[in-house]
Amino acid sequence: MTIFTEGNLQIAIPDGVSARKFDEPATHGLTHCMKAVDFIVELNDRFIFIEFKDPADPQSIQEKKEEFIQRFQDGKIDEDLKYKYRDSFLYEWASGRINKPIFYFVLIAIEALDDAQLLARTHALRKKLPQTGPASGQWQRPIVNGCAVFNLKAWNETFPNYPVKRIKTT
Amino acid sequence: MGLTEIHLENFTVFQKLNLKISPGINVFVGANGTGKTHLMKVAYAACDITKSNQGFAEKLIRVFLPSGRSLGRLVKRHKTSARCSVEILREKLKLRASFSNHSTVAESATVTGIKDWNNHQIESVYIPVKEMLSNAPGFRSLYAQREIHFEEIYADILDRAYKPALRGKVDKTRRKLLTILQKTIDGKVTTDKKEEFFLRNKQGNLEFSLLAEGMRKLGLLWLLIQNGTLLEGSVLFWDEPESNLNPKLYGSLMEILLELQRIGVQIFLATHDYAILKELDLRKRDSDQIVFHSFYRDKNTQEIACRPANNYADIDPNTIAEAFADLYDREVKRNIEGIAR
Repeated sequence: MTIFTEGNLQIAIPDGVSARKFDEPATHGLTHCMKAVDFIVELNDRFIFIEFKDPADPQSIQEKKEEFIQRFQDGKIDEDLKYKYRDSFLYEWASGRINKPIFYFVLIAIEALDDAQLLARTHALRKKLPQTGPASGQWQRPIVNGCAVFNLKAWNETFPNYPVKRIKTT
Repeated sequence: MGLTEIHLENFTVFQKLNLKISPGINVFVGANGTGKTHLMKVAYAACDITKSNQGFAEKLIRVFLPSGRSLGRLVKRHKTSARCSVEILREKLKLRASFSNHSTVAESATVTGIKDWNNHQIESVYIPVKEMLSNAPGFRSLYAQREIHFEEIYADILDRAYKPALRGKVDKTRRKLLTILQKTIDGKVTTDKKEEFFLRNKQGNLEFSLLAEGMRKLGLLWLLIQNGTLLEGSVLFWDEPESNLNPKLYGSLMEILLELQRIGVQIFLATHDYAILKELDLRKRDSDQIVFHSFYRDKNTQEIACRPANNYADIDPNTIAEAFADLYDREVKRNIEGIAR
């Protein structure tokens, strides 16, 4: 099992699964001009792009939490999630590594986000990426094969083999 | 003084129900067939008779409209003889009716406490699911003259809507609420000599039958605030306020209901809508008095039961949230298929 951390969250990746921290300035090299998702996991038949947002982090300061809420309400977080995916996709494409379907999973660690809101956020993200091409049908392939938004509870119920937890809870 | 408790025994779907009521907003949630509307109708009947001076059992017949107008059909179905009781409390005032499943007429019910009960009048209004204002012309006189098969709540709501505007200056809170509604419906509501309702604005008069149904409902609310039906001490019953209304309008509507509660209107809502509940949850202040009453069929007894909650998150069971959980689960499943979890 390999442990990766992002802020005050950590994810455990099972042995035998290839994964890397993607949003790492030293290895990415272009974070000054391209956004990046936090992790990329490679399975036999697909890539999984993973992004963590942790506004309720008890370690973060109040102003930071308020700034997140404001950006969340203004729709800027959705925009951020969209560009993180697209830039990461472009980076990987240019690196010649896009050879299987990609799925994008976002964890927003706010427990108050209930199932109705997670469902709505998932639909909104799918439209923004966008998961389907123009109505003319001229896209030969999708830029993303699936996406979903989770809170911590939903993530751990869905992916018991990729558990996420807070490192410091106070 | 609003209602404080409701106790039902063997009444319609209820074997036994003891409900404590909030003086503010009472939200009834639960699957279809758990008695939410029945409860609102019982409570409304008790309020309405203080003004209409009808007998309590007679009013129950008129708002429930059992087959053959037979009172005994309101008793929970039993193979043998059975008796039901209905008790409504306003602190120390208690109105009680009991009758058997053999009762056919209102007079066979035993009603106690009605004299003291009626000495303290309550203004009340019941907004039914179906919109009535567009069917108003002639309906009231038809209802008064003929035995037409309509629950009395439909005639009553028109009586309330036709009340003329309250005399004197409109106070600040009511003016604020009326302004919010006028902006939403883009005008004011008016009637002509033929009892037809119109939306009046700069473009002229638009008859209600040409207006979107959701807007007609907001127009009705405007009338009830404007004519002083909804003032401090009054009771509002609203069955599925979400029907025919675009969810974008729920926020303003819930804000208005919260304001009405703040000025002392007691409110009962029955809803199946997540966004209605969530709007209330997100907009309420600490000082607001809201109780969510969750109705469900008890797995052991198979009888209807109710569990109160002070917050949306504590509603249990919450069939609305369960429906979303199921949708979300399937949505996620579709996206993760094939991943070794």
